[in-house]
Amino acid sequence: MIVGRTIADAVARSRAAALSLLVTVTAVVGFAATMIWAATGFGSYWPAWIWFAGLVPIGLFWFLPELTADLDGRRLRLAVHAGLSAWVAWILVLIWAFAGGGPFWPLVTIVVLAALVALHALLLRQVEAGDEHELEERVVELTRTRRGALDVQAQELRRIERDLHDGAQARLVALSMQLGRAEERLGDRPEDRELVRAARAEAGAAIAELRDLARGIAPPVLADRGLAAALAALGGRSAIPVEVEVEAGERLAPAIESVAYFVVAESLTNAAKHAGPGARASVRVERDADLLRAVVADEGAGGADPAGSGLSGLRNRVEAVDGKLVIESPPGTGTTVTVELPCE
Amino acid sequence: MRVVLVEDQALLREGIVALLREQSIDVVAQAEDGEGLLRIVAGHHPDVAIVDVRLPPTFTDEGLRAALEARRREPGLGVLVLSQYVEPVYTTELLEAGSGGVGYLLKERVGEVRAFVDAVERVAAGGTVLDREVVSRLVRAAEPAGTETGIDALTPKEREVLGLMAEGRTNAGIAKALVVTPGAVEKHISSIFAKLDLPTGGDDHRRVLAVLTWLRASAEG
Repeated sequence: MIVGRTIADAVARSRAAALSLLVTVTAVVGFAATMIWAATGFGSYWPAWIWFAGLVPIGLFWFLPELTADLDGRRLRLAVHAGLSAWVAWILVLIWAFAGGGPFWPLVTIVVLAALVALHALLLRQVEAGDEHELEERVVELTRTRRGALDVQAQELRRIERDLHDGAQARLVALSMQLGRAEERLGDRPEDRELVRAARAEAGAAIAELRDLARGIAPPVLADRGLAAALAALGGRSAIPVEVEVEAGERLAPAIESVAYFVVAESLTNAAKHAGPGARASVRVERDADLLRAVVADEGAGGADPAGSGLSGLRNRVEAVDGKLVIESPPGTGTTVTVELPCE
Repeated sequence: MRVVLVEDQALLREGIVALLREQSIDVVAQAEDGEGLLRIVAGHHPDVAIVDVRLPPTFTDEGLRAALEARRREPGLGVLVLSQYVEPVYTTELLEAGSGGVGYLLKERVGEVRAFVDAVERVAAGGTVLDREVVSRLVRAAEPAGTETGIDALTPKEREVLGLMAEGRTNAGIAKALVVTPGAVEKHISSIFAKLDLPTGGDDHRRVLAVLTWLRASAEG
């Protein structure tokens, strides 16, 4: 492409110079020849050959760039090749005609020229097909590796959630059990017992916080039971009343389920935060052939900024799976977040 | 009372066993996965199986599935499921497995020793125990009056009573918690039964059905 562009630029620069030279030379030589022709007594107008030899290249140089403006290097070369061949063929035919006809001797040359142009075109086509094939392969490979990266990310998140579950959360639960046992043994010392109870309450609060954190990383019910169960649970946890309706059919790819889940989760969090008192929200998820569509609507104040960090973060997640996110939030009529995700 | 325990993490397994022993409850057998549960239930015929939801090899809801299967094979078995998460879908599946003798608690409730032991005993006796976290979520989830199910017709007081019923409390317990007379509680409960259109019959069974209706309404959003 870059080579083609350079050639095109060079051609454009040299064209102007060549064109003015050709025009000057043709005009001077043609005029001089006509003078000589007149001085030698107006015989057969032989300077026609000079005009012809000058005007044809002028015409070619004039129109060729118009014809080749949109072509890149390889196609440009083919166009120049074909144009020059046509020009040579035409000159040969004219010379044959001017020389009074007879056996059509330019035929062999014309056939050879045409064959060469055809060969050139054929080669170009093969090269371009190869390029296209290469591009297609590249797109397939990129799609595959991107999906692979997303799946790896999903697995990593799942692993972190499991590590939290089996590690810190389990230890805190064990701690809370031990504190509970200590509490039972301190039945006769109410003050100490109260201290241990307070410690257990702290452990409980830490467990609850870890639970929310782990669920924010990778909700286990999403992996276990899929989108419908996870979204129903999400709706139940929301700070505002949420109506959830999910018709997603069978299980989808983990990356798609995860994106759909987090779009709904973030939208519901936004709704609870901004929609104002007494607001309610609805979640509708439906599958339409190869498309999963999720719509989260609230009846709140609207006016959400699609460029805000939360919403643009969602957009990145959605675009990473070739999905589409539309946020409608006219002030005063609530916010509607629509996400469409491809699923095969 | 014969109790078996299925928990894959040794730390927690040992903790629960020690805690129950101190409360004079003997854990007669332990296992680490779903198959182990089925094996020890068949071998020991316990009154209650305490089961972690997440077990190997899948680390998803293996424990719940195994507990339901164990209950199918051994209908009298009480099942108390422990989980790090509150998930309405698990609660619903557990309650649909039959009336009574089931419980669903967050793991950290084990630290509330008396309440935990009480829950084990109630499940062994055929009662239903739900974690208060499950219940409070359900109360909130049941609040939107979008679709007209029986749940939506309940008054706030009746919801409160239903919540306490779901936690597995008796009428006397509910009366104590709400600081009302047992008679008032009974009035609320029969009103709940009427509004939920539950068939007359065993009172315990209707209590479970009431909780179940409520769970379904909230699981459907």
